[in-house]
Amino acid sequence: MQIERFPVRLIVEKSGDMVYFSQLDLVSILTRALRRANLPLYYTQGFNPHVKMSFGRALKLGVSGQEEVTLYFTQKIAAQELHNKLSSQIPQGLRIIQIN
Amino acid sequence: MIDLSLIQKPQRYIGNEINVVKKSHQGKIPICISYPDLYEIGMSNLGLRIIYGMFNAFDDVACERVFLPGDDLAVSLQNSSTKLFSLETKTALDRFEAVGFNLSCELNCINFLKILKLGGIPLKAKERAELIVFAGGIANPEPLAEFVDFFYIGEFEEGIGQFVEVFRKHKDKKARLEALSEIDGFYVPQFYNITIGSCGYKFDKLHKYAQFPLKRVYVKDFDKSYYPLNWLTPHTQIIHDRAPIEIARGCPNSCVFCQARSVYKPYREKKVSTIYEIAKNIYKNSGYENLSLLSLSASDYSNIEELLDTLIAEFKDKRVGLSLPSLRIDDSLGNLYRKLLFLKKTSLTVALEAASDSLRAKLGKKIDADKLFEAAKIIKSLNLRTIKLYLMIGFPEETDSDLLSIAAFLEKLHSNTGLSINVSINIFVPKPFSLWEGAWMCPEEILDKKIKLVLSSLRRRRNINISISQTAKSILEAILSRADRNFSSVIMKVFETSGYSAIENWQIWQAAMDECGINYRNYLKSENKNFPWSFIENPKISGCKNDKDN
Ligand code: SF4
Repeated sequence: MQIERFPVRLIVEKSGDMVYFSQLDLVSILTRALRRANLPLYYTQGFNPHVKMSFGRALKLGVSGQEEVTLYFTQKIAAQELHNKLSSQIPQGLRIIQIN
Repeated sequence: MIDLSLIQKPQRYIGNEINVVKKSHQGKIPICISYPDLYEIGMSNLGLRIIYGMFNAFDDVACERVFLPGDDLAVSLQNSSTKLFSLETKTALDRFEAVGFNLSCELNCINFLKILKLGGIPLKAKERAELIVFAGGIANPEPLAEFVDFFYIGEFEEGIGQFVEVFRKHKDKKARLEALSEIDGFYVPQFYNITIGSCGYKFDKLHKYAQFPLKRVYVKDFDKSYYPLNWLTPHTQIIHDRAPIEIARGCPNSCVFCQARSVYKPYREKKVSTIYEIAKNIYKNSGYENLSLLSLSASDYSNIEELLDTLIAEFKDKRVGLSLPSLRIDDSLGNLYRKLLFLKKTSLTVALEAASDSLRAKLGKKIDADKLFEAAKIIKSLNLRTIKLYLMIGFPEETDSDLLSIAAFLEKLHSNTGLSINVSINIFVPKPFSLWEGAWMCPEEILDKKIKLVLSSLRRRRNINISISQTAKSILEAILSRADRNFSSVIMKVFETSGYSAIENWQIWQAAMDECGINYRNYLKSENKNFPWSFIENPKISGCKNDKDN
């Protein structure tokens, strides 16, 4: 059975110490933050399921700026709720700028 | 301050992990602890995390971490006359009151000195006026005795409270060391004089109240003992990128070559309900997507099926991977692996140690190789790609036919299962406190012949990948784990002449030993009298009859 998925697009700002963390690092930072926040996550299907997310263009290492990330949930989530729950779980230097 | 953007992998030095503890040092005892290797390796060490959490649980202690810097940072530090600093508050190492090291891997001894040196700390204990360097996890402390103010013999969880009390009460280094040496587990090398006589090593106390012989200390109530639930979660990949949950400590088996079973005596387990609570909390606090159940021999855990059922029920829907790295091939193979597969793509690991049944019997290794073949059908159905196999060579009494049986075994296993096999062949080192601690270390020439025999007997075959330990490295490991205090001078010389690369370079070690007049073969002979580490109680060893005449 195919589970319905609800994508949410985020703009995340990287600054301070976080500029040293790569996009690959960002995958696990966000995955673990989402898990700690206990949100209804959508997992990829298949042999080795993981939390699904996709990224826009990666920032260069050492540079501050904004990145686009799409997260997927199994339910509709209000932007404000997601903002509150996720913001308290991400490290200093990462900031959620926009959710839509 | 160093510009981190010019350094490779700056993530290693930032110290902003989830659940990191940062305290002001004002009115506190500042302590820095280390696993002397790179961040990715050191952060995979469970012991360090336990100690970190326990120290920081005291309001008046600030415990921070430091790891081995990469070559590029080490050079920048030296060029800019900056001292190596802790991750949490970027404090130079020489500003701490105590710096502690996990020295469980002997080959890290040069890294250990490197960290001291880069941190601006004098290398020798007697050259340090106030700062105390302490170490744990090492079976035979003697080769490093000159560099360390005190070693903890056993499981440091039991000693941390006493350590903090002594540091609160006494502010002067000598008073601190004297007070510690009177407590079980704390070994202060400078309070013991060690001489060699007809009966081997002889130990005399220099401080009247110091403990002798030293008792190994272990955690009495393992089920309730501290576990770091506020899991320090790195933002970057580390070597073992999962949260380990210790389900048991020690091992009820008696493999003759095994050091771990002796230094983690007795065998203890945590209850299923305790493990469940730990797992739930670690997941809640870290969000780690992989948990691994840690013990020396998971098959011996009394309620392994109940444990797996409980954890699977909790984590299945959350898609959290569970791994059980020390499972033994047993009757339960099919059942347990099927459960694990529920959760995670898994590989099958078999620590067989010897391919021939008769040698395995001598080693006390309780594995029935036939079970592996009988289980071939089950293995095939498990969706595995590889089997990982551990073997060991270089045992006393090992025959050519024992070695030849390796090839036959591997080929049979491959054709029965159709899986590719990764084999790691280690070289036997007679480790202190193991049942065969007095055995002979096979010399280089013979080891090389044995390796040749194994490799040449294996018909070239795809899908069987063999890696074999380097002879020189194993000899060095044997020397470092068996040497006495005189060996400190060799370690010092090697560090001074070559720094980083030294540990791999056998020629440098040989030259240093020649210069110091040390014949390393003396450490590798079979021995039945006593050892440099015999001041630590080891129940199976009886005293030397001539002790009194000495
Ligand atoms: S080798 Fe493994 S099974 Fe054998 S005694 Fe050591 S820990 Fe136990």
